Amino acid sequence: MNANYPAPIQRLILLLKSLPGLGPRSAERLMLWLMGRGHTRIPELAEALVHLRNHVTECPACGFFIERGAACLFCQSDKRNQKLLCVVESAADVLRLERSGAFSGIYHVLGGKLSPLDNVTPSDLRIESLARRVHELQSEEVIIALGSDVEGESTAHYLADLLRPLGVRITRLAQGMPAGGGLEQVDELTLHQAMSGRRLLES
Amino acid sequence: MLTRMTVRDFRCLASVEVEPHPRLTFVVGRNAQGKTSLLEAVCVLMRLQSPRTSTRSDWLRFGAESCLIEGVWEQHLLRHAQTKSSRRLAVNGAVCSRAAEYLSASALVVWLDHADMNLARGGAEHRRRHLDFTAAQLFPEYLTALRQYDRALRARNFLLKRDINISWRQVDAHGVIMDKNSAIIVRCRRELVRRIQPWIADAQLKLSGAAEAASAVYAPGFEGDSLLAALENMRDAESRTRQTAVGTHRDDLLLSVGGRDAGAFASEGQQRTLCLALKLAQARVLEEEKGVAPLLLLDDVFGELDPERRQALLDYLPRGSQKIVTTTALHWMTDESSDASILRVEDGNVRSVD
Repeated sequence: MNANYPAPIQRLILLLKSLPGLGPRSAERLMLWLMGRGHTRIPELAEALVHLRNHVTECPACGFFIERGAACLFCQSDKRNQKLLCVVESAADVLRLERSGAFSGIYHVLGGKLSPLDNVTPSDLRIESLARRVHELQSEEVIIALGSDVEGESTAHYLADLLRPLGVRITRLAQGMPAGGGLEQVDELTLHQAMSGRRLLES
Repeated sequence: MLTRMTVRDFRCLASVEVEPHPRLTFVVGRNAQGKTSLLEAVCVLMRLQSPRTSTRSDWLRFGAESCLIEGVWEQHLLRHAQTKSSRRLAVNGAVCSRAAEYLSASALVVWLDHADMNLARGGAEHRRRHLDFTAAQLFPEYLTALRQYDRALRARNFLLKRDINISWRQVDAHGVIMDKNSAIIVRCRRELVRRIQPWIADAQLKLSGAAEAASAVYAPGFEGDSLLAALENMRDAESRTRQTAVGTHRDDLLLSVGGRDAGAFASEGQQRTLCLALKLAQARVLEEEKGVAPLLLLDDVFGELDPERRQALLDYLPRGSQKIVTTTALHWMTDESSDASILRVEDGNVRSVD
């Protein structure tokens, strides 16, 4: 007979293991913690998960998270420039840009990047709604803030191609030097891009 | 210059210590005694990879848990230890966590062996790989461009195959990336061929006893300046064949001897000389660029050449660089070429011969 944990524990490990970033060992460690010292936290955790499911949703327009029934921080705010649309890959990128304080427009979360080799097609991303939004909002500028890997770049080109007929200005983030650092901390490729994207020093 | 090397449990070599000659070292022995393994150990010590295998655990001697290669190159003590699953690198006793750090302290290597014949006879991919290897060391932006191009190309080919109605917008989005990167690749390859061209002609002339003129011409895999425009013209063909029809992944290096295509018309010996010329040109270009002569490792390339070419090759090998040469016999060697040391390899043991 093969000895194993009781069935509920096996089921829990299986569930934990299916979460991103958790392997069998991490799953087992979490389970041990939940069975031991974390025992008292289980109701709290379970409640938080249920609450998450019942009360949090995506803004139907931009795709950032909102509480059910609440207004979107960005789309429904009159402090934001509704003519300026920034396309990002994930909701986490929205917060990153927000923390920089550099942007006062609204966002559009794609939910991923086009990657034919991973079977991610335009229909898997929020691309159709992006085109619709640009049209409805009469956007003046769409800023594409995707990564500079092959997938990010090809998605950017795809979007630019798709949105061009709408007559909107399409821009992308600059690439180059990190702020406040010397040349010694920059890798060759970034330096190469920084060099080719150099700017006139204005007095 | 490699002045001293210790090898332990590498391939068939249990424990070997050698002191290569500053210019020319012959490694002599019958077949299957460990000559190439010794040469391979030098290559692994310097470049952390081997032309013979891509599986590192192959290096371990049968039954051994780890292998060790240690050597002194230009006053740097290099140390490379490999177990079945991990390796440990050190320069002058300090552990290197990044391979790049280690590689910048070790020598560039040019390896010549029988497989080089593919450069003349094989498909274009062999010649592209040869160009890639050199270009990657000359131009820092090259390798990234090549990888990105490759990834975009794979995605593009997949897109062309996947749908019944090809979604050209997605296909073109990848075409743009290929275009951008191919501009870099083509520029680097063009420049590289411009630099190796005179060396190839020179080498072929000297190696053949001033009898043959050789040339290498870069042939881009698409017409015009813009890959994007070239792809645009191939719409019909691509929707039929369902793969990317043109691009720098179809580049070639056209080799000719005496004005005729080398792959089809050159003789066996001519082809062999041409491949040597290509490799030696690579060594010269690397030397020009880096200011340090690469280490030349020649694995049994003398056997197939006639005595004149053999002697010509020995004379032509760059004087400034250190050469290590394996061969089964030395009877053809004349006295002039005897400013060399000889290592005799027998059953995994190496001893030096006076």
